[in-house]
Amino acid sequence: MVKIMKELTRLFSYIKRYPGFLISSLICALIFVVSMCLTPLFFGKAIDEITLAIIEHISLLNTNFFRYLVISVILIVLVLIFQFLFEYFNGLFVERVTKNVKDDVFKKLNEVSIAYIDEHPHGDLVSRVINDSDNLNVALVSGFRQFYQGIIQIIVTFIIMFIFNWILGFVVVFLTPFGFFISYSLAHKTNKYFKSQSKIFGDLGALSLESINNIDVIKSNNYEKDSISEFEAINKDLYKVGQKAQFAGSLANPVTRLVNNSTYAIVGMVAALLCAFSYKDGNMILGASCTVGTILTFIQYSNQFAKPFNEISNCIPEIQTGLSSLKRLNIVLDEKNDVNEGEKLIENVVDKIDFNDVNFSYDGKKQIIKEFNLKVEQGQKIAIVGPTGCGKTTIINLLLRFYDPNSGEIVFDETDTKSILKSSLRKSFGMVLQDTWIFSGTVRENITYGKKDATEEEIVEACRKANCYDFIMRLPNGFDTYINDYSGLSVGQKQLISIARVMLVNPKIMILDEATSNIDTRTEMKISEAFNILMKSKTSFVIAHRLSTIVNSDLILVMKDGAIIEAGNHKELLGKHGFYYELYNAQYAKIV
Amino acid sequence: MVSSYSFIKYFKKEFVLGPTFKMLEVAFELSMPFLMSYIIDEGIVAAQQYGSYTQIVVPGVIIFALAVLGLCSTLVCQHFASIASQGFGTRLRDALYSKIMNMSLRNIELIGKGNLNTALSNDVNRLQVSVAMMIRLVLRAPAIVIGSLICAFIIDWQVAFIFLGVVLLISLILFFILRFSSKKVITVQKKVDNLVTLTNDSLNGMRVIKAFNNEDVEVNKFKEKTSDYYNEMKSVNFVNALTNPLTFLVINITIVLVIYFTSGQILESLNSDLTTGDLTSLIQYLNQCFIALIAVSNLVIIFTRAFASKKRVDYLLNIEDDLKNNPRFARFSIKNGESLIKFDNVSFRYNEGENNVVKNLNFEIFSGEKVGIIGGTGSGKSTLIKLIDRFFDRSAGEILYKGHDIKDYDLNALHEEISIANQKAVLFKGTIRSNLLVGNRNATEEEMIDALKKSCSYDFVKKFPNFLDYEIEEGGKNLSGGQRQRLSIARALVKNSETLILDDSTSALDYLTEKELKQNIFGNKDQTTIIIAQRVSSLLNCDKIIVMYHGEVENIGTHEELLKKSKVYKEIYISQYGEDYERAN
Repeated sequence: MVKIMKELTRLFSYIKRYPGFLISSLICALIFVVSMCLTPLFFGKAIDEITLAIIEHISLLNTNFFRYLVISVILIVLVLIFQFLFEYFNGLFVERVTKNVKDDVFKKLNEVSIAYIDEHPHGDLVSRVINDSDNLNVALVSGFRQFYQGIIQIIVTFIIMFIFNWILGFVVVFLTPFGFFISYSLAHKTNKYFKSQSKIFGDLGALSLESINNIDVIKSNNYEKDSISEFEAINKDLYKVGQKAQFAGSLANPVTRLVNNSTYAIVGMVAALLCAFSYKDGNMILGASCTVGTILTFIQYSNQFAKPFNEISNCIPEIQTGLSSLKRLNIVLDEKNDVNEGEKLIENVVDKIDFNDVNFSYDGKKQIIKEFNLKVEQGQKIAIVGPTGCGKTTIINLLLRFYDPNSGEIVFDETDTKSILKSSLRKSFGMVLQDTWIFSGTVRENITYGKKDATEEEIVEACRKANCYDFIMRLPNGFDTYINDYSGLSVGQKQLISIARVMLVNPKIMILDEATSNIDTRTEMKISEAFNILMKSKTSFVIAHRLSTIVNSDLILVMKDGAIIEAGNHKELLGKHGFYYELYNAQYAKIV
Repeated sequence: MVSSYSFIKYFKKEFVLGPTFKMLEVAFELSMPFLMSYIIDEGIVAAQQYGSYTQIVVPGVIIFALAVLGLCSTLVCQHFASIASQGFGTRLRDALYSKIMNMSLRNIELIGKGNLNTALSNDVNRLQVSVAMMIRLVLRAPAIVIGSLICAFIIDWQVAFIFLGVVLLISLILFFILRFSSKKVITVQKKVDNLVTLTNDSLNGMRVIKAFNNEDVEVNKFKEKTSDYYNEMKSVNFVNALTNPLTFLVINITIVLVIYFTSGQILESLNSDLTTGDLTSLIQYLNQCFIALIAVSNLVIIFTRAFASKKRVDYLLNIEDDLKNNPRFARFSIKNGESLIKFDNVSFRYNEGENNVVKNLNFEIFSGEKVGIIGGTGSGKSTLIKLIDRFFDRSAGEILYKGHDIKDYDLNALHEEISIANQKAVLFKGTIRSNLLVGNRNATEEEMIDALKKSCSYDFVKKFPNFLDYEIEEGGKNLSGGQRQRLSIARALVKNSETLILDDSTSALDYLTEKELKQNIFGNKDQTTIIIAQRVSSLLNCDKIIVMYHGEVENIGTHEELLKKSKVYKEIYISQYGEDYERAN
């Protein structure tokens, strides 16, 4: 309970932003619920007037018949207006709250460290932003529409019933919650079927997903029949549990109907008996009067009183789902923001970049970078090579401060990068990565991403330099063509657009991280022209898999297991006959 | 033409008995207000005048008994419904899965793997629910509406017309709400999709976003999109908020009208049939009718969705397979050096009228040869492989396998004789052993270890706690890219097939490992080996190299020959080795 309160505290902080709403919704709810409860009362009274007119042989006009009908109509209209207001503003309010939650979660994802984004599956994070906030929305709607309104309805109906006829009121109050308890304990008992049903269904989905996505492997190994029998075995289990789950799930409605119908029978019977008794004792028995009208009123009350109980029990799963989603959202919202303690700004060209005894590990166990030392002068072209997992990309992560070293320092012209404002630090870098990033938007939006106020001339120039102007012009709407990661652009074209994006900003230091690895070598040649323009007279770091791209570098660092094992230019390294020589020969082995 | 619903035929008993018991319950429920009316009109008077309470108690107890009987018969119905619908779903799911597994790759790619997965889970589930509803609600809801109307006509035909009017009015309201929300669902879903796309984009590009210091830009974009969504929801919310009060209004105004009209009748002719008890029954019928109408509108939603699903599933169940296995002779082996695969002017396109993916392919591969295929992305290399393993049938030309039309060779034998390791090294959830067994169900432990050694996987596999029984997670997530590639090569090797195809399957390996692996594979002189690669160095020592360019064979020859005569090969070579290196050689 304490835990739940903790989760809810944040939700309340959102709800509190709309205090006027809470008060007006309570007023609306009270007005429409009271009117709703009084309506059957006046129906009953109207009917009693008919009986009266029959017995006394007078015209209906001389009774209160029409007055009661008019009051009923007024009450009905009040319900119409205030229930509408209640539900409409509730709906808007809930949408507002979830919008705020969504916005904040998304904002948080932009504020946390890269490490957090790297460590969490993106599908899961997206699902928190979208699905969990949606579950919260559903829970809030149920919370207000069913729970809040339901409780008010129960209380008001309860009071009115007891004022009007306490004996019948007692009968209704005694019988109604039965249905609620029966369906609650049913749900509780059958829950295990639903749980194992969804587990088996998940297994089945995983199996079919795996085999359909890799159908070529299955076919080339004649594995279809085996796969089908695996599927059928799980499917059989699904049937066994599913049949029970479905039967259990279909019990709720009939059981509720049984309780409603028995209440109907008992209320009718008791009311009729009361009528008969009270006729003898001057229309009153134990302080409660009863007429035919009363029977009608109470039959309706028994429906009206049972409804919120059913609705509340139906919405409990939704609220539970909402609570667990709230928990998942809170975990993201509670995440620490990325630290940004630096305040110094980089204004001039950076002349020197020094790595001093840098150590780094992602998980605190496996050392990725060990005692790393490096001095870079302005204008140098540094290449980093080595087998996968040797820590090449980690160097880049440290340079841009996506991660910070565990010990040691990275120094820009005598200033430890930790004391430089992150935004200023990053502004001095231009980065082209292996995985190109094209977001859904126009070509222009994608290119001007780093410089929103770029002029048309600047854009065109950047594109010409990046070798992508021609193909952009061939797109259906030129710069205004809508593109996304899946649209028809080739990997090479996407990479050229991300180069144009960097070209436009013209940063001081360049980073190319396997920028051409996904591109075939002929296309690569075109792109490397663009790179040469981009890197001209700039300090640059190039990570490469293919050695051909880096033979002209000023300094080649050969990394293995987190440390530099060899350094020098291409010729020097070949001369050493060491690891580089081996790598190079494996790649360029003489054709024999 | 197979229909999804044809699987109902296995559940005839349930389909007859289920609704029968349901109708019993309806009859019970409809007779209750009559009994109540009797209590009010006769019972009270009898009690008041003669002091006899039996006319109140007996009908009351009967109502109660009917309620209990109603529950019992419903439970019987629900039981049948659960058996029929789950059984139906299970059979349909099995049939669809087996159909998918036996579909040709071309059909699968045309339909889309995502769509197949959705059909198998969502569509089958919806159909399953619809079958349950057929038994449980399809008869019940209309029966209650019609039954209530008939009862109303029995009580008083004039009042019954008010009834009829209200039923129509509520149906109309529900119809409009349904139409509005089904339209809105699509636009709202679009807004949600926008949010998903943006969130996905941002997460994938977080490094770039941060490098450009554009976090605020992203947050503002997102806020714009959530506002869009919020505005869309306003109108949805308006209609939702109107639904409850409006139906309350219609129902209760009708009660006012019924009271008003009947009052006149009750008074005008005291000898008329209409009584206050009847009035109560009418109101009760009105309530029942209304609840049933809501159920009908839910049914409409369920069945609209189910029919859309049925259309998709039926389409899949009836797809005619374009790839037929009609072997004309038993499988046989050929000697080293004999013609294994021959392409004669082969072209392929996915659909009639579309561009050819590959065209006019001419080449021949002999048994025991080591053949390399090289070309840029999209040059048709992978399509070529799919034609060799007969995942696709050519659109034009001839493909000969062991001297005969490939279509006449047993497809299963063909798949057995050719093993492929893909670039996308796919491992299945299970263990290393179970994955190797996919390649060869009869592989002994020795054979597996041999395959692991040849594929350079033995060294890392032996470090795993359970060796061959090491658990592999979904998609091989707990292994590195290089490890996955080596294991998928091991799976291809354990098959011990006549032909081995490595489709760019060493891209994640470093050069030294790749070299060793290739030596191991080339050591088997009897096995025909086809290697597809992007790197010239991967194709060293091949007997011949086929150069692909824009879907065509540009040239065929050894490395030296190609350097002289192939423009494309030379370009690839220079792009990887640089002109200097060429000169240096």
